[in-house]
Amino acid sequence: MTVFHRFFSKDASLYKTYKGQFADAFITFFLLFLATLLSLVYWDISQNAGNVALLYVLALVLIARKTSGYFWSIFASLVGGICVNFLFVYPYYSLHFTFSGYPVTLLGMLAIALTTSTASTSMKRQMQMLADREKLLIEAEKEKMRANLLRAISHDLRTPLTSIIGASTSYLTNNHILNAEQKNELVSHIYEDSNWLLNMVENLLSVTRIQDGVANVSKSYESIEEVISEAVIRLKKRLPDAQLSVQVPDELIMIPMDAILIEQVLFNLVENAVLHSKSDFPIFCYVDQTEDFVTFHVRDYGIGISPDRLSTIFDGTAYTGNSSSDSSRGMGIGLSICKTIITAHKGKINVKSHDKGTEFYFILPKA
Amino acid sequence: MSAKTTIIIIEDEKNICNFMATTLTAQGYKIITAANAKSGLSLITSCCPDLILLDMGLPDMDGIDVINEIRGWSSIPIIVISARTQEHEKVLALDTGADDYITKPFGPSELFARIRTALRHSNRLNTGARLTLRPYEADGLVIDFEKHLITLRGNEIHLTQVEFKIISLLAQNSGRVMTYDTIISNVWGPYADDNNRILRVNMANIRRKLEKNPAEPHYIFTEIGIGYRMLEDKAG
Repeated sequence: MTVFHRFFSKDASLYKTYKGQFADAFITFFLLFLATLLSLVYWDISQNAGNVALLYVLALVLIARKTSGYFWSIFASLVGGICVNFLFVYPYYSLHFTFSGYPVTLLGMLAIALTTSTASTSMKRQMQMLADREKLLIEAEKEKMRANLLRAISHDLRTPLTSIIGASTSYLTNNHILNAEQKNELVSHIYEDSNWLLNMVENLLSVTRIQDGVANVSKSYESIEEVISEAVIRLKKRLPDAQLSVQVPDELIMIPMDAILIEQVLFNLVENAVLHSKSDFPIFCYVDQTEDFVTFHVRDYGIGISPDRLSTIFDGTAYTGNSSSDSSRGMGIGLSICKTIITAHKGKINVKSHDKGTEFYFILPKA
Repeated sequence: MSAKTTIIIIEDEKNICNFMATTLTAQGYKIITAANAKSGLSLITSCCPDLILLDMGLPDMDGIDVINEIRGWSSIPIIVISARTQEHEKVLALDTGADDYITKPFGPSELFARIRTALRHSNRLNTGARLTLRPYEADGLVIDFEKHLITLRGNEIHLTQVEFKIISLLAQNSGRVMTYDTIISNVWGPYADDNNRILRVNMANIRRKLEKNPAEPHYIFTEIGIGYRMLEDKAG
């Protein structure tokens, strides 16, 4: 099996080089043929041998540039030299290597061929190197993002876990001292924190659906009203007291997306709005569209976000800010995950302040 | 309840199993638990339970195979327990013959609702009482299957033939999730194109006729990537 495989793959790579050789040969012959044709036409009109040689030189440069290695350019320079001698130097249609200056012409063409192919080879190599370096840089950037996310997550997960472990331990050990009300409070803390943990885990799971980071989600056409209603129902289950008003266009809009991921984005945005805007006014969630794009808006009428935080709010770095409060924990991760999801859908996510609060919105392409 | 309803829980996570057993016992059900598929299957054959709660991630057998095995000889309702992001697994389980699914993590109220619905539908099958003889009724919506009549708070609602077929199917299985494929093959026939766009369009039209706000539905809910679920019949 492995032998067969190795043989096969060797065969495949051989085939590949054959194919490259074949293409190079084709380019060489085609350009030489073209140069000869043009020269013949030109010769017919003006009888000027000097310009004919120039045409061949031009073909030579192009061949050296387009083919890989030295073989074809040397070959072309020889063929070119012979063609000039044979067709355009007196006596015509016969080879004479003895007349004065001819070896110089031939040597000159060879030199041009060699220098041009050297230059183009090194250029190709440099381009390859640049592309490799770019790839490495992107890879490193991705790695860095992943590491940052991991650090943020483990930090954020520890807080609710501490509270859960603390509350449950105190319930178990002080069972006989605590009164019913205190017990109730402890358990409701556990409930609240585990719900928060669950949300975090859902977010993380949704990121694992995006393989290789960029633009690689499995999309299918989904109706936006169904996605929104799912997000709203999930939110109502999590925060039964949340005030929310939702509006979708009258016509049915279906756009390609991974519905679970977009639902997660909507859920995160609406949940953030409910938890952090500190307003009793309902969150307004609506959709509008242009010819090619659909925009989802989540607008709150709350305390707003300071401008210097707005600019970095999607970077996932918000949590490291000096506002070490529990109130904003995890908000940074949630939003950076939203951004990852929307970017993977080739969309855009943004935030702006309006008179009475903040509005998050994201744009998705219709096709 | 003179004879207690028996439920078998097949779940390998001890904590989850305990939580379900405790809450369900408190509700008056008789609970039998199994930690793997093999013992679960043998318990099912010996006890003949009224309902099966089946976790999809069992150590010794694939959940789908367990459903296949049970469905080979019995129509005991099966509720599948599965994680949120595995839509394909859920659809496969439902199309294999599971009656419904519940997503981890779930609360007691959700669990009770699913169990009630599944039991109600299986009782109807056992006693032979046909739902189609009796109209569907929930929160002001009445669907009379015989007269082809739908009224919302007394006002008649006009649906096309296809729309009526879809909503009757959902209403007759109210409270249960119906997969896209089930609905399509029931409404358009078994050889219909499995592209569900036409279903979405019809559903959007139905919603615009029934719901106050299509984005906050009250009667027909979407289960993304899986299908639709209709508000449970309040009359039965």
